[in-house]
Amino acid sequence: MSAVLEIDGVNKSFGGIRVAHDVTLALSGGKVLGLIGPNGAGKTSLFNLVCGIVKPDSGTVRLNGQVLDGMKPYERARLGLSRTWQHIRLMSSLTVLDNLIVGARDYPGENLARVLFSVGSTNAAARRNAEKARDILARCGLEDTADKTLSDLPYGRQKLVGVARAMMNDASCLLLDEPMAGVEGQSYATMQKVVREAAAAGVAVGVVEHNVAFIRDLCDEGVFMFSGRILARGTVEGLISDPRLTELYFGT
Amino acid sequence: MEYLYIVMISLGIYVILASSFNFVIGEAGLISIAHPAFFATGAYVSAIAALRYGVPIPLAMLLAVVVTFLVSVIISLPALRVSGDYLMIASIGFQLGLIELLKNLAITGGAGGLSGIPSFLVPQIGNGGYAAVVWACAIAVVLVLRYITRSDYGRAMSAMRDDELAFASLGRNPMWVKLWVIGLASAIAGFAGALYAHFFRFMEPDQFDVLQSAALLTMVVVGGMRTSLGPVVGAVLLQILPQAITFLNLPPSVLGPLQGILFTGLVLGFMFFRPRGIVRMDPVWKGALQDAPASGGTHVRGA
Repeated sequence: MSAVLEIDGVNKSFGGIRVAHDVTLALSGGKVLGLIGPNGAGKTSLFNLVCGIVKPDSGTVRLNGQVLDGMKPYERARLGLSRTWQHIRLMSSLTVLDNLIVGARDYPGENLARVLFSVGSTNAAARRNAEKARDILARCGLEDTADKTLSDLPYGRQKLVGVARAMMNDASCLLLDEPMAGVEGQSYATMQKVVREAAAAGVAVGVVEHNVAFIRDLCDEGVFMFSGRILARGTVEGLISDPRLTELYFGT
Repeated sequence: MEYLYIVMISLGIYVILASSFNFVIGEAGLISIAHPAFFATGAYVSAIAALRYGVPIPLAMLLAVVVTFLVSVIISLPALRVSGDYLMIASIGFQLGLIELLKNLAITGGAGGLSGIPSFLVPQIGNGGYAAVVWACAIAVVLVLRYITRSDYGRAMSAMRDDELAFASLGRNPMWVKLWVIGLASAIAGFAGALYAHFFRFMEPDQFDVLQSAALLTMVVVGGMRTSLGPVVGAVLLQILPQAITFLNLPPSVLGPLQGILFTGLVLGFMFFRPRGIVRMDPVWKGALQDAPASGGTHVRGA
């Protein structure tokens, strides 16, 4: 059980607000780690720091032993870091299938010369990517949505598409930002199944979530964050029954 | 007949310009107004190389394409590193700055422009032949850009336009996509400039001023942004209308303002009554492979 993602002494302030205060955290392959904490605790900011969207003031992030500091978001994604967004961020002018295809690991459409002059290799990769996308959609119970667009889908299924898209690049680390907010019914069960399967395949999963039941059902472990600090790490059961943390969470 | 050929040549050149401009602002969603400046770059590079240095014309035209490509990439690179808005500012700066430069350098002939540019092919094949060459180039440009737009590259362009941050977080490099889009479209505009220079054999800086940006934008918007045929329709319409009103025998004092009123009126009219232009785009991206299956039957993108 080695660490896939290592966050080491990361600090970040926006003006006077410290969103990461000496955060040190490791995510292991095959495990699901839940990030719990009230709004403004710095959970999403931590994801943004890890993904390279926000630059840390100090500290180091490593993925499979490789230092990511200074890399751009797309470079980190190529190394096997994948994420979803609280507000989904699907491409509105693409079908669900195309949303997934554009996230494939070997995507020929990134290179104009390849598209124009290496038609054979482009078509082969395009076929592989379409097949893979359909396969992932099937696993997420989304087969029927392949040709639909974002606006055709209820919110819960849009969230599932977001997770499906994040799985297109065979990431070794998957960060899910509030996957359950607004998700209910069938999509809820599917989401759980999909995340469990990803972990079972060896992916290190990090989940920011306010839905405590989901966290408790799914996560092997949790950390409690408050104003940019990690206050505790342990079983989810232990964290949510800790009266000190509950008080911070509900702000009594 | 010769007049008709000249109109056709001018039309073909504007088809090339409008189509490549649509590639940048429509398909990739990059806000740039400097397309006429890249048109000018190509025209001046080819003309100066042939006129002043005796470079064989085909080579001068190739040089124009390469130089325009490089200039556009160098201008855009620093702006694209920051954010989308800076591209517009950089493009305004380049558009205005280049025209001033052309007006004040000796090598470009200053405000008086360049005349006596060697002609290309016309002595051999005549105006009609040249019109055919220009239209063959225009059709090739439209088809190549349509191919790219419907390929995997087009899917990436649409994705980047929709949400750049999500696009980058999927492992795609948005800057690389933007640079190639601008480089390719500008190189095409540079080529159009070379075609222009060696036919009309005279040019002055004011022909490439910012009003041309407005004209190209009007062509793309009125014709239909994000379609392959829209810019063609827009270019033809907006080139023929001004030509047509010159036949009305109006005094120049009326004719001058009338052109501006016509363009503005068209844009306003379309904004109210047909905001997506004459050829309507499909809001959903469709690849070349997706037209055939049953699901693709309802939309045929930019047909």
